[in-house]
Amino acid sequence: MAARSSKTGGRKATSRKASQEFVSEAEEILERMRTDLADLDDQRSGGRDVDPELINSLFRAAHSLKALAGMFGLDAIQDLSHHLEDVLDGMRLGRVPMDSQVIGIIDEAVRIFASLLEAVSDPDALLAVSAPVEDLSARIAAIIKPPEAGNDVFGALEIDASLLRALTEYEEHRLSENISRGRHIALVDSSFEIISFEEGLGAISAAVREVGEVISTLPAPGDSPESQIRFSLLVGSELPMDRLIEQLNDPEVSVRCVLQGHTEPEAPVEAIPTEEPVRAPEPEHALESLRSIGETVRVDIRKLDELMNLVGELVIQRVSIGEIANRLVAQPETAKIGGELAKIHNALDRQLKGIQSSVLEVRMVPMRQVFEKVSRVVRTLRRELEKDVRLEVSGADTELDKLIVEDLIDPLMHIVRNAIDHAIEPLDERLAAGKPPQGAVRIDAFQRGNHVVIAVADDGRGIDTDRLRERAEQRGIISPETALNEKEILDLIFEPGLSTRDQITETSGRGVGMDIVRVNITSIGGVVDVESVPGRGTTISMTLPITLAIIQSLIVAVGRHRFAIPMNSVMETLLIDDGEIQHSEGRELLNLRGEALVLRRLATEFDLEPDEPTGKQFAVVIGMGEMRIGLLVDALEGQQDTVIKSIQGPIRSVRGIAGATELGAKDPVLVLDVSTLVADAVRRRDAA
Amino acid sequence: MTSATPNSDLQRSEWERLAQAAANRDIDVQNVDELVQLLSFELDGAPYAVPVESVREIVRLRPITPVPGVPESVLGVISLRGEIIEVVDICRRLDLSPIELNRRTRIIVVNLDDGQAAAILVDAVRQVLRVEDDAIRPAGASDSGAIESLCAVEDRFVSIIDLNRVLAIHE
Repeated sequence: MAARSSKTGGRKATSRKASQEFVSEAEEILERMRTDLADLDDQRSGGRDVDPELINSLFRAAHSLKALAGMFGLDAIQDLSHHLEDVLDGMRLGRVPMDSQVIGIIDEAVRIFASLLEAVSDPDALLAVSAPVEDLSARIAAIIKPPEAGNDVFGALEIDASLLRALTEYEEHRLSENISRGRHIALVDSSFEIISFEEGLGAISAAVREVGEVISTLPAPGDSPESQIRFSLLVGSELPMDRLIEQLNDPEVSVRCVLQGHTEPEAPVEAIPTEEPVRAPEPEHALESLRSIGETVRVDIRKLDELMNLVGELVIQRVSIGEIANRLVAQPETAKIGGELAKIHNALDRQLKGIQSSVLEVRMVPMRQVFEKVSRVVRTLRRELEKDVRLEVSGADTELDKLIVEDLIDPLMHIVRNAIDHAIEPLDERLAAGKPPQGAVRIDAFQRGNHVVIAVADDGRGIDTDRLRERAEQRGIISPETALNEKEILDLIFEPGLSTRDQITETSGRGVGMDIVRVNITSIGGVVDVESVPGRGTTISMTLPITLAIIQSLIVAVGRHRFAIPMNSVMETLLIDDGEIQHSEGRELLNLRGEALVLRRLATEFDLEPDEPTGKQFAVVIGMGEMRIGLLVDALEGQQDTVIKSIQGPIRSVRGIAGATELGAKDPVLVLDVSTLVADAVRRRDAA
Repeated sequence: MTSATPNSDLQRSEWERLAQAAANRDIDVQNVDELVQLLSFELDGAPYAVPVESVREIVRLRPITPVPGVPESVLGVISLRGEIIEVVDICRRLDLSPIELNRRTRIIVVNLDDGQAAAILVDAVRQVLRVEDDAIRPAGASDSGAIESLCAVEDRFVSIIDLNRVLAIHE
């Protein structure tokens, strides 16, 4: 896919498409810089302390801009952002004063960036702005002072020298800032269980931030038990020690004052002879400060896949360990060691879940990027087709797995293009129908359970089902005798035979490659639904899984057979008596809060031997898109993390089976293909 | 994940035996190019063989998960180091009496022409045969169409199975 390669390529000639991508990303960064800069100026001119996070944010923005420009080979922008980065780094480290001159320079840089962005695709225009860039770069170089030599304000600190040596240059700067503002400096020590130290540390840091600043977080030496880890937080706060202890409100945490601030009456400061902090050579400092501040890295999605697979394998091993632990616990002579293993297993489980969710989180991207692409296409189409169409979007922050997003773009573009090209009527037709002259296409993205729904709605002419049916009969897709309801006729737009443009345009206004849309969406585990009201418009919604990686599955049993059902398709589970099952024309139904839920017995579906009837069974309510059925099974065996694998061999695809998964024990468990089961059940219901 | 790490002693000894057999033949016979290596095994009391290069692994019988809605000859799926592979009872495909599972039963994982793996059940693995090209002769018409050739070993005919044909399942 072209969109994939354009970002991963190295320095290359700026193609039109690439430069568009660059501009939209760079504009976002500039916008953020303008906001930060305005806040910074407000704080400074209001005589308040400047929030160090603002400067960090500006620094990160300059850094991102530099990386972005480098990727697209835009040297002028890269150079200028590099110089800007220097200024901001100097400000973070206290080497550059925060005066109006400096703020003026940053402001000017942002303005030059804006004009560079306008000129990005035009080499001549780029040349014209190169003079101000050089001028500004020179002025920036002039104001950056070399770092101050040793800082003796730390001499008064009642603190171990080794601790001071561990501070980065930025942290040293923050420490001296806090000291010069007369704040109390304290060391907050606490021990944490290794397995859960992130949470504990996070909680303390958050409590400190409410009343001060965490200057540095350092692992502390100490004779703590092996399962524990100690941390020291170097804290600057205006609260005296007793109030700080009160704020932290945790007997496990020790707070020690290392420097009295000025907000208290001068206390005699014990002169502790501390060594001058040994400074690392300068270049390392520069590297370190970048390392600690660089906010993003670009990672090849395949690397994440590898990582995910490894985690998947670990999950399988983890389940095996759990099973062994259970077996040990069950035997009296091994119960004790089994209990210990179970404890380790539980800790492992927690940590694996943590790794899993972090990796999953890394893969997630907001829909915003997709919407920006769609909006560009809409602008182009509007011009080409000379149609007045407005695009509305909502849910740009909805997140989806990067790979799903990649596979979603083409089908989504297709649907939007169809809507504008065919569904939205020409101006005279709209006016005659009493509609506003401007057509509207609306894309909503939102999360529903473990799925993301992306719905494209237009206010066009809608689908004429009579003519759609007529067309399908002519093309031999259905016979004139086939009984179909409105919904099923609408679903015909996804049939391959109906997809030629000239055949369908004047009848339905839709159908160009809708079969491809369905194939693509199905291949990533999604479902496409269509709704249409003649004269009012059409909505096509795609229901997609949030991720393709490890998923939670419900394990069910029928007789001695076990199956896994992906949790994202499970709506609820019910324990039902035989007496609750109602019959109609040989079908079994359940009254589920007033709705008739079609029941299917998994045993019958797959011709399996069920358990002896007990008068009770479980109904697993599964659904895909708008359809629901209840699947009757003998037992529920709980939820498990599963990695769905495809089946290798001569058969490979079995209707109703999506693949298989390992659950620790050696025999694999088949994973049900919910969409096929539901579709089959609904089809049979209609045929009956 | 396809490394042939032996995961049981028995399997290791089998591999060693195969390797040993192959090595012995190397010493006996000079003209290596014209030799065909076959893995021979027993089905329903008679000797059969498949080309060694299509064999990925030989493993002991392990739990097989039945798969609904497939032909009777597909017994189900096994998991082998993260891969899920179908297990086929080739006795049924060759119109022999269905295989009886016992201690000698082995699963042979084979590679098919289309890059997929499949697993077949055999009564017992015997040895690696190294036979000269011209010792292999056409089998003539076989009922299942899956026996393309025979080779004579010590006056006994070993049927050579065409895996891609025997495993091609038409519904």
